[in-house]
Amino acid sequence: MPVNIIVCVKQILDPEIPSRDFRVDAEQREAVRGAANLVTNIFCENALETALQLKEKSGGKITVISYGADSTEDALRKALAMKADAAIHILNDGQAHPDPLSVAQVLAAAIRKLGEFDVVMLGRESGDWGVGQTAGLLAEELGVAAVAFVDKVEIGADGLQLKRQTDVGYERVAATMPLVISITNDEHNVPRIPKTRDVMMSFRQPLTKWTLEDLGVNAAEVRAGNHYYAVVDLFIPVQELNCEFVDGDTLEARVEKFAQRIIEVTGSM
Amino acid sequence: MSFTSVDFLEIDALLSEEELLSRKSVRDFVEAEINPLIAECYEEGKFPDHLIPQLGELGVLGANLPEEYGCAGLNNVAYGLIMQELEACDSGIRSFASVQGALCMYPIYAFGNEEQRRKYLKEMAAGRLIGCFGLTEPNFGSNPADMLTKADRVTGGFILNGAKAWITNGSIADVAIVWAKLDGEIRGFLVDKDTRGFSTRLTKHKLSLRASITSELLFEDCLIPEENLLEKSNGLKSPLMCLTQARYGIAWGALGAAMSCYDTALRYSQQRVQFGRPIGGFQLTQEKLVKMVTGISKAQLLCLHLGRKKDTGNLKPVQVSMAKMNNVAMALEVARTSRSILGANGITGEYPIMRHMANLESVYTYEGTHEIHTLIIGQSITGQSAFG
Repeated sequence: MPVNIIVCVKQILDPEIPSRDFRVDAEQREAVRGAANLVTNIFCENALETALQLKEKSGGKITVISYGADSTEDALRKALAMKADAAIHILNDGQAHPDPLSVAQVLAAAIRKLGEFDVVMLGRESGDWGVGQTAGLLAEELGVAAVAFVDKVEIGADGLQLKRQTDVGYERVAATMPLVISITNDEHNVPRIPKTRDVMMSFRQPLTKWTLEDLGVNAAEVRAGNHYYAVVDLFIPVQELNCEFVDGDTLEARVEKFAQRIIEVTGSM
Repeated sequence: MSFTSVDFLEIDALLSEEELLSRKSVRDFVEAEINPLIAECYEEGKFPDHLIPQLGELGVLGANLPEEYGCAGLNNVAYGLIMQELEACDSGIRSFASVQGALCMYPIYAFGNEEQRRKYLKEMAAGRLIGCFGLTEPNFGSNPADMLTKADRVTGGFILNGAKAWITNGSIADVAIVWAKLDGEIRGFLVDKDTRGFSTRLTKHKLSLRASITSELLFEDCLIPEENLLEKSNGLKSPLMCLTQARYGIAWGALGAAMSCYDTALRYSQQRVQFGRPIGGFQLTQEKLVKMVTGISKAQLLCLHLGRKKDTGNLKPVQVSMAKMNNVAMALEVARTSRSILGANGITGEYPIMRHMANLESVYTYEGTHEIHTLIIGQSITGQSAFG
C-alpha cells in the first residue's frame, strides 16, 4: 500500500561544535552562530530515515517541508540527496526562532495546500531549543491524531503499527491514517549518508518555494511570532569542579566520611 | 571526537553547497566506517578491502568522471575534497581511491575505446572490479622513459614481458593498466588478472602505508588480446597525464592528513597541562600551531585555485607539480611538528599523527618525488632541463 508521507525538517546551528566555541548573546537571548555550520536537526533526519524505510517497503512518496530562512534550502537539498521525492521551502522572513504554534500553523497551511496525506513525520524536538511541541500542535491544527516518541513505523492491517518509547519501556500502537508522528532516535533509524552522485543530482532537482502569503495564513501575526512564551534569560551554566580526597584510618571510616560529605554537599542522600 | 577541518581563512564560504555536502557525506562515512578500524588495520598491515563496495556505493571511485559510465560526475573541487577526507583518515585509503579513479578509470576513459569504457568503468565505479597501475619498475622510478617492460606484436595480440614494482592494489586487482614499450613507444595495456604468465608478489615489511596493498607485477610471455590495447595511448605523455590526475588528488589528500595532525595537536595543546597551564598557552607551542595553520591555509588556497582551473580546463601539469610538491612537504612538516606537541603520546597508535607521518614519507616520494617535481617547475621557469 503506497503511503503519502510528509516529513517536516528544521535547520539548526550545529550542536556538535566544541563547547569552547559555543557562545550566547545574552541581550538577544540567542546562540551566536560564530563559525558553526547550519545542519539539519538530527531528530528530523531520524524522521526522514524512518520515512525512507517505510517508503522502501510500501512504496509511495515523500515530500519534505521546511519553514526557515534562505539557508534552509541546504537542508532540503540534503533531504533530496537522501532520496526524498520532493521538497518545499517556506520562506521565514520574520522571527529567527518562531514559537512552535506559529510553526505548526505555517506547516499545517502548507500541508493543506499540498492536499491529501497519509502520515506526517517530525523529529521529536530540535537540537537548538528542544521545545518539542511542534508535532502535537501540528496534529491539532490538522485535526488528526498524534503519536509521540515513535522509533519504528510499519504498515499494519488497518493503518500503521508504531513502536513508541515511554519512560518505562515501549508501547505498540495501532494507528489509522492520516496522522502525525514525532520520531525519536533508535538504532533502526540512523540517517543514511547520501551518496555523492545523489548529492549532485539533488542540486538539479526542482525545489518548490512558498512565501507565507502563498499559504493564506495571517502573515503579519506569524512574522511577529512568540505569542505565548518568551525566553527570559539565556546563559551558559558555569561548571565548577572541586576535587576532594576523603581520608580516614579504615575503609569503613572513609565510607562513613564520604557519605557524610555527600549529604553535606547535596543536602540529601 | 570527530575531525574538524581547518578553515582559518573561511574558505568554506568559497565552496558550493554541493561541494560541502559531498565533503560531509565522505566525512560521515569515514567517521562511521573507517576511523574505528584504521589504527588496527595499520598495525596489522591490512587494507580494509571489505569496505570497497561501500566506497563504490558512496560514489568516491572515479567521482569526477561522467555519470554515463556510472560515476558521480562531480566537479574537481568536490573530488579534491573527497580525497582530503579519505586521507584525513589514512593515506592508504586515499591511495586506493586515487589508483582506482585517477590511475585506472581515467586512462580507460581517456585512452580506451567505447567498448572498453562500457566493459570496465561502471564496474570499477561500483568497486566490483579493482584496478592497479603499472608504470614504475624495480630499476626505473623517476625515469620511466627507460622502462624495460615490452610488448611484441603477435597474431591476435601482443606478448608482454617485464616487471613492475611498488604497485598499489596490485595483489587484489582484477585488471592492471600496464605501460610497456611497443615498437619503442610506450603504450597502455589492460591485463586481466587471470592472464597466463601474469603473477603478483606482495611487498611485505613496509613501515609506511601499512593499511594499503603494495605489490610487484610480473609478466612472463603474457598473451594480451588485441582488444586490450588502450588505442589512444601514445608515448610517455599518456601515463604522465594519468599521474597529473592522481597528483592533483594527492595535493588535496595531503591537506587532509595535515588537517588531521593539526586538529589533534591543537586539541591536545588545549587539554595537556604542564607547569599549571595548558601547553597551548606557551609561546613555543603557539608558534608551532601558527606555522601549521598557516601552511595548511596556504595549501588550501592552492588546491582550490587549481580545482577551479581544472574545472575550466586550463590547468597545467606543472601547476599540479607545485601543489603536490608543496602540500606533501607541508603535511610532512605538520605531522612532525604535531608529534612534537604531543610528546611521547604522539608516537602511540592512540593518535593518528605517527601513522600519518610514516604514510607521508611514502607520499613524499611516490607519484613523482619531491625532487622531480622541483625539477619540473625549475625547467618550466628557466627553460633549462636539469633532469640528467
